[in-house]
Amino acid sequence: MTLTSTLKDGCLIITTDGYLNNTGGELIAEECYKFLDDGVNKIVIDLLLTKVVNSIGISILIEILERLINAEGKMIFINLDPAIDKTFAIMGLSQFAGKAGSLEEALGAF
Amino acid sequence: MDQNSVVLKMFLPKIPSAELVAIQALDQMANYFGIPSETMGEAKIMVTEAVINALEHSGDGNRQVRVEFKMSKEKLIIFVRDYGTGFNTASIQVPDIKDKLHSRNKRGWGMKLMKNMADDFIVESKPTGTKITLTKNLI
Repeated sequence: MTLTSTLKDGCLIITTDGYLNNTGGELIAEECYKFLDDGVNKIVIDLLLTKVVNSIGISILIEILERLINAEGKMIFINLDPAIDKTFAIMGLSQFAGKAGSLEEALGAF
Repeated sequence: MDQNSVVLKMFLPKIPSAELVAIQALDQMANYFGIPSETMGEAKIMVTEAVINALEHSGDGNRQVRVEFKMSKEKLIIFVRDYGTGFNTASIQVPDIKDKLHSRNKRGWGMKLMKNMADDFIVESKPTGTKITLTKNLI
């Protein structure tokens, strides 16, 4: 998996491309923590180009969520594949992270 | 399963991301039946988790995992078998994110995902290995 990131309106936007496994999860975590350490506590993760995930990769997202919650921050996912959406729901991520239909909607939700 | 079903059997080696081979095979079979990719999403998640579990938890003595798909337009049956030392199926803990958020170990979700996404889910484990059977209705 690869990712790109950008900062917009004080919000970190991460766009992933590829398999969100343990390596992919660690890449996302590394990027998020860089910005969390600088005080950014709003994160949007765009999964449009990620069609395959595993629970190990998502477990790392839970680690990020924990740090974000402690920083009184919020995470929103956009472009969720229906199966990945259901995976998040089963794992309970949906209780602590939001989802939106578009980047604009996500940015407006913070 | 009617006469128009297809069977695919493979042995996956214990290498990183071997589960992707199984998922690609599933995609090809779905394509053959004209089943849209979106319909296969949950099946692919189940296969991913089953194969990863088998590769990770079957022990160092187990160098491969057997995966079998029986597929028709209506139904997919997935078998994943490892040749490890087995485990006590009664010891499987159901994870909860509220507990995970405060614990060091955030993992352990595979069984819960498979159980919730499958229309039928059977796990059998003996000292000679573990077999998971998952059924997914496609219509």
